[in-house]
Amino acid sequence: MKRLYLFLGKRLIFVIPQLFGITLVSFLFLQLIPGDPAVLMAGPFATPSVLENLRAELGLDKSLFEQFLIYISNVLRGDLGNSWQTTRPVAEDLLQRFPATLELIVLSLLLALAIGIPLGRAGARLKKGVTRRTADYYGLFAGALPDFWLGLVFIYIFYTVLTIVPAPLGRIDFFIIPPPSVTGSLLIDSIIDLNFAAFKNAVGHLILPVVTLGLINAGPILKMTQATMERMLDEDFSKYGALCGLPEKVIARKAFRNSLPSVITIVSVLFGFLIGGAVLVEIVFSWGGAGQYAVNGVLNADFNPVLGFVLVSAVFSLVIYLIVDLLYFYIDPRTT
Amino acid sequence: MTGKFNLFFRVLKKRPDFMLGYIIVFLIIIIAIFAPLFAPFDPIKSDAKNYLKAPQWPYLMGTDATGMDVFSRVLYAPRVDLAIALLGTLLSAVLGVILGAIAGFYDGSGKVAGFGSAFIMRSADVVQAFPVFVFAIAVVAVLGQSIQSLVMAIAFVNAPIYLRLMRSQCLSIRRMRYVEAAYLAGTSDVKIILAHVIPNSIAPLLAQLSVNIGWAILLTSALSFIGAGVEAPTPEWGSMISMGFQNIVTGHWWPSIFPGLALAVTVLGFALVGSSIEILADPVRTRKLLLS
Repeated sequence: MKRLYLFLGKRLIFVIPQLFGITLVSFLFLQLIPGDPAVLMAGPFATPSVLENLRAELGLDKSLFEQFLIYISNVLRGDLGNSWQTTRPVAEDLLQRFPATLELIVLSLLLALAIGIPLGRAGARLKKGVTRRTADYYGLFAGALPDFWLGLVFIYIFYTVLTIVPAPLGRIDFFIIPPPSVTGSLLIDSIIDLNFAAFKNAVGHLILPVVTLGLINAGPILKMTQATMERMLDEDFSKYGALCGLPEKVIARKAFRNSLPSVITIVSVLFGFLIGGAVLVEIVFSWGGAGQYAVNGVLNADFNPVLGFVLVSAVFSLVIYLIVDLLYFYIDPRTT
Repeated sequence: MTGKFNLFFRVLKKRPDFMLGYIIVFLIIIIAIFAPLFAPFDPIKSDAKNYLKAPQWPYLMGTDATGMDVFSRVLYAPRVDLAIALLGTLLSAVLGVILGAIAGFYDGSGKVAGFGSAFIMRSADVVQAFPVFVFAIAVVAVLGQSIQSLVMAIAFVNAPIYLRLMRSQCLSIRRMRYVEAAYLAGTSDVKIILAHVIPNSIAPLLAQLSVNIGWAILLTSALSFIGAGVEAPTPEWGSMISMGFQNIVTGHWWPSIFPGLALAVTVLGFALVGSSIEILADPVRTRKLLLS
């Protein structure tokens, strides 16, 4: 237990400078983007004096260093600034959008695990046959398909032709009253509210984007499971088990248990990637997620949303990596 | 050299799917070069009377909402996509190899170079700490929307991969006896890197390159899809998918589906070539494959 505390302490010490570094670099980097927020906010017909006032109000007339200090001290108070596009505080916008993205990517990763792990396990155990071939080629195909295109194909098949899913416009139909927001996840909130019409509608909206992202992200999970488990089945402990006459099933279970760290690693990497990487699928399904918010910010010289997004997703990634390290600790007693 | 070629063909014989990969890549390059010979129509000329025509003669893949021929545009697109992906990937490899060689060769040395090595690695950490996609869009936003910016975005996003690969190669190779011998014989650092480290790292680099070109094509089209890449009407798969996006729900699937299919097949081709090089680069895996 003492080992665990020491380990946690060491990790937490590094979190603060890491976050500071990421904020500083993104702040400076975004300054390089051409486009004057004051001009964009006031419109093309604003007089110089209006612009001057607006700049002073936004703090744009101060030095970069001062601007950064002001930003940091605001962030510490939980204020991420305002977005001039939505004219709302970025923190509020993100609070609304991050749950949408998280609901989408958590469910997608669960689906990806449900496809990738059994197929990867089977692929590692079998030497030939249809299942083995499927496992071998699945990763290759999944890696080659653009996710935004696959989403469109699904929309065409299931919405346009078969009309069995709701229109790909957001998380819930506009004529359905959404449940009061508690967790931000529409599924959980509608269960709490016992609003089953909303639950059913939200599920309908989730199916296509989740299947799109799930099918594609199952590829790397499958590949990692198969490759690691194949190596484990080649290890001395597996051969020894076989010599002792253990059934193949038991050996496979042990080999899988020992491949878990790599599988967890790839899932955490995918999670970190999807926070921003799900944006294409979010656009296709008009999801209104966090990635979409950041991309619109970059494209319209609206920097506070981008900074806020980068900061919050960095915190998420760091938390995920921390959880992963704790899981290693639990799975593999050799970790120090 | 003939031995190597023999090995190559024996591997292809064992894995006909690799052969398919080489054929796809070869065909795409041919199509890109000779697009004007194959395309029946001008790829950026719109015909206002024939818009959203379903696939039929003479529009093999139909026409889009502005009346441009989808088939001709699909054939012209690899000119843009392949050029951006190839240039971007090559640039990232050159950048990564140079920085990685420095970072690996001088890792832990007390000199100024040792400090530089640590600096390079921390910079790579920072670049990789950003969400890949948002970073790529930001690079395009900083440099202005153009083909050159897309090339730079791909180079920056991918450079850390080569950097890490090269560094780990360097770390293991510089401890080899023959490198120490070369060092004692008075060979300069630069010469050791050029004569020993890089030649010994070529195989894994090539495998990475081929896989990365596929990714780079996906990234180019993804950036164009959201409007931060190649702009319409220049024929490019991602922007074509984006242009046809609105027509999908009304049942006009062809302006989006065909370019996506071409994109997927191309990426698949490069991925197959990449896995074949990966196997050829590893004598143990090659032997295993040939004996299976």
